[in-house]
Amino acid sequence: MNSLKLCLWLAVTSSTLFGQSARDIVAEVQKRSQADSQRYEGLLQVIDSRGKTSEKQWIYERLGSHGKSKATIRFVAPAEVKGVALLVVSYPDRASDQWMWTPAINRERRIAMQDRRTRFFGTDFSFEDLEERDIDHHEYSMKGEEAIEGEPCWRIEARPRPGKKSQYTRSVIWIRKTNYTYAQMENYSEDKLIRRLKYRRMENVQGIWTARTLEMEDMTRSSRTILKLESLKYNLLLTDDQFSVQALRQG
Amino acid sequence: MFFRGATLALFLCAFGTDQGLGQGLSHRGYLETAVTAYPQAAPGDSGRWIGQSLLRYEPSYKLTPGFRVQASFDARTDTHRQAQRNWDLSFWDRTTQWPAFAVRQLSASYSRGPLSLELGKQFVRWGKTDILNPTDRFAPRDYLVVVDNEFLGVTAARLTLASQSDSLDLVFTPRLTPSRIPLLSQRWVVIPPAARGLTLNDAGARYPGGPQYGARWNHQGRAFESSLSFFQGFNHLPLLDTKLMANPLRIDVTRNYAKIRMWGADVAAPLPWFTLKAETAWFQSDTQQAGEYVLYVVQLERQHGEWLFIGGYAGEQVTRRSSVLSFSPDRGLARSLVGRASYTIDTNRSVTFEGVARQNGEGFYLKFEYSHAFGQHWRLTGQAVLLRGSESDFIGQYHRNSFGAIKLRYSF
Repeated sequence: MNSLKLCLWLAVTSSTLFGQSARDIVAEVQKRSQADSQRYEGLLQVIDSRGKTSEKQWIYERLGSHGKSKATIRFVAPAEVKGVALLVVSYPDRASDQWMWTPAINRERRIAMQDRRTRFFGTDFSFEDLEERDIDHHEYSMKGEEAIEGEPCWRIEARPRPGKKSQYTRSVIWIRKTNYTYAQMENYSEDKLIRRLKYRRMENVQGIWTARTLEMEDMTRSSRTILKLESLKYNLLLTDDQFSVQALRQG
Repeated sequence: MFFRGATLALFLCAFGTDQGLGQGLSHRGYLETAVTAYPQAAPGDSGRWIGQSLLRYEPSYKLTPGFRVQASFDARTDTHRQAQRNWDLSFWDRTTQWPAFAVRQLSASYSRGPLSLELGKQFVRWGKTDILNPTDRFAPRDYLVVVDNEFLGVTAARLTLASQSDSLDLVFTPRLTPSRIPLLSQRWVVIPPAARGLTLNDAGARYPGGPQYGARWNHQGRAFESSLSFFQGFNHLPLLDTKLMANPLRIDVTRNYAKIRMWGADVAAPLPWFTLKAETAWFQSDTQQAGEYVLYVVQLERQHGEWLFIGGYAGEQVTRRSSVLSFSPDRGLARSLVGRASYTIDTNRSVTFEGVARQNGEGFYLKFEYSHAFGQHWRLTGQAVLLRGSESDFIGQYHRNSFGAIKLRYSF
């Protein structure tokens, strides 16, 4: 009887501990990836279900982090979208504001973003996938341990907190034990796997372990997008003035 | 001549051959060839197949992070005499035909902290809505093909003061850049039945002297973004003076540009289910023949998956009627329901549907467009435009001008 009580106590406390530690682990990931600013040149390959590949390139700059940030994405290739720029202002407590500058019409346009499922410029990333995840937007539970490509990982489930909207009802996240970085993320709608994101080519850049290649697979479309981060720098001297609608116009 | 020289000098200064400049120099552009087919002939214009080519080159040079020179040059030709056949370089965009060679943009901009200044030929766009922009007063357009128009640059000084939530835009232009209106001998000018058989003769334009200026204050609030704007200057769309002339019997058409004052406001509010955008402008004029009126637009916009829906109403309230003919597509599109839906098929393909229906039911316009990119440089676009209605309506008068077009673009 006593051993049964002990087992029950262990089961309850260990799940609580696992629950706490899941959040702690994600908190540690967020803490270790904290940077005041970031800049990289993105090389993007979209591979459709028939194996056809199209490429895009952009320059990404961000000021602030994790839920309170401003970011610009300026396309440099292909030629027809060169100069198109997007400004995203993210808030911790509400949906982001977004403006797009289109050189062909010489005008910035506020973008309607009621639906964050929308694919980003025809890639397999949705607008929501490109937003930074803030730890407080989800509740976490430990689901065990599993190796990803030979590396030992924690397997954690994240569900949106009540009141926090997401296209995904849950995500399963694999976090590398060695350096507290994301290894893989699977995003589900109910029980259906919608997208799988793989974090590859890990490098320590200015003390921050960063995946230099992100591979997003859209299971519903059987297509995938590979994003390579080149010329990556953290904690650059960027100012608020560079993240305004006026700055978007000035290029 | 002076401006051609000045243009060339500024261009050479900005994009000179010094190889050391290469790092801050970037450029883009495209060569587009289009074939348009009109199933019906129009009175006075039997041309049903039109070919045209446009080469657009847009270099820009960043001297320092805050100082930049940008330019855009066009070279154009066509099979329908819509484009000029000479070597003149146009800067002021006052030709009735498309110039064969044009400086579309040539400006220098400097920004430091909250202040930015742009001088030269540039694009100044105001307003928030998409289906019609009543407050967009520094944005004349090329209406040679009325339903497939594009913006013209204006020579201006533009000073912008911006904080994180507010911006003040001050614009001064030394002279009017008029909108380019359809050629009198071609299908986009519909001769009233009573005047058929007479020739319309372009008797030129009486351009007003004097500058134009305007100010716009924009505020980005937590729940919405709004602007107030003011403009004092001239309408870039002309009033048309017509005179019956003998020897030979013809109607002389002279373009005049009314003095106007505009008070405008616009707002954009992202709501849980859609984004609301609205824009209004009140136009007053000291020119007796010109009308006075209020134009307003209310539109709703929603992104749903790969679909983008925009729908709204453009309205007009006339406070004083115009006593002469005018070419006013902005007012011609008012009192209409407007809708647009576009779908992104994948990273290379998209389709767009667009429709305008006048509330009196006397005119409508439908457009379908399919666009497909090939590789890194090529894009093929197919268009079909249906125009129907009665001759008394601005849209309906073009009921013989439905067309299909194929455009092939090479971007570099």
